[in-house]
Amino acid sequence: MHTETPPAQSEVSEIELVKRCQRGDTEAFDELVTRYRTRIFGMIYNMVHNEQDAWDLAQDSFLKAWKSIQRFRGKSSFYTWIYRIVMNVTIDHMRKKQIKGSGAEFDDQIQLKEIEPAARTAPKADELPFERMERGELRQKIDNAIAQLTPEHRAVILMKETEDMQYHEIAEALGCSIGTVMSRLFYARKRLQNLLKDVHENV
Amino acid sequence: MYMKTFEENFTAWVDGELTGKELVEFEASLPDRAAAEAEKSEMQKLGVLLKQELCAQPFANEEFFSHQISEQIARDETGQDRQGTRSTWWTVPRLAWCGAAAVALFVLFSITFVRDDAPESQSPYLTQILNARVDPVENPNATVTMFESQKNGDERVTVLWTEGLKSLPSEYAAK
Repeated sequence: MHTETPPAQSEVSEIELVKRCQRGDTEAFDELVTRYRTRIFGMIYNMVHNEQDAWDLAQDSFLKAWKSIQRFRGKSSFYTWIYRIVMNVTIDHMRKKQIKGSGAEFDDQIQLKEIEPAARTAPKADELPFERMERGELRQKIDNAIAQLTPEHRAVILMKETEDMQYHEIAEALGCSIGTVMSRLFYARKRLQNLLKDVHENV
Repeated sequence: MYMKTFEENFTAWVDGELTGKELVEFEASLPDRAAAEAEKSEMQKLGVLLKQELCAQPFANEEFFSHQISEQIARDETGQDRQGTRSTWWTVPRLAWCGAAAVALFVLFSITFVRDDAPESQSPYLTQILNARVDPVENPNATVTMFESQKNGDERVTVLWTEGLKSLPSEYAAK
């Protein structure tokens, strides 16, 4: 699922790296970037459905994290803390894009058509071309459905279903109550169920 | 005591977060248990589907990604250092001292040079053109000019400048 080494198994603990960062050690921050870059990029990509935007937003999030690392008090994990920055940056970007757009909720639909769907899924050696194509189509349908959710609903469903985050972690990352997270999850799931009805029946 | 809404309870039920009394009470409150169970199953399937499909997001050029962040941090740090040096050097007392020094220099310059410039605009000599004593018949084109220094005191200088003289008048002849 994730390519980075889990913090618990790594040689230097996450909190030690954070302390070094707070003393201005850029190498320690580079280590933190290496640990979380794939997960954060993946999360943002699933939110915005554009590789270049995801790259820029992930970089922006890490740079903001570096600038405000002094404010990290260690009450939560570094990952939950940086997720809050990631969510702020990403949701803010999506809202701005929504305002700039010409009526459509987001322009993901256009972008999705421009990218070869199969290219956006991890290639598997044992997958046949037909299977790959089918998989690409499925991914496209899911992406299209997620694109119809509000930024907040996208965030909760992705954090819960793909990141396995707890309600309180999601709440912390989004700066809202646990009740709001649960409520948003309910409506996001309902909406996705309706949008992916045909997929559900075939899977 | 905080009362969870139906949506909150349903979500917790789907995710297996309801236990004990809460679970019993919620399941008892469901009007159509079979339909709710079917929906729960569908939502759980949806979760599995999303996990399967959305986790496989390749991230190319990871090292370049990190490199760009490191470079940006280095650039920001250098910029901050420069800004910091500038802002710490120009303190209020230093600014005041620099201002006072500039005013003093200006005053000194004005006294030393500007005042001396005024006499330089005029010649230090009084110039007189003397024609009266030159014989116009003997020396028709002769001009005599006398420059006398304006300085008072012992060091008085007088320069007599003659041009076009064929012969000196007899009264100027050396004795």
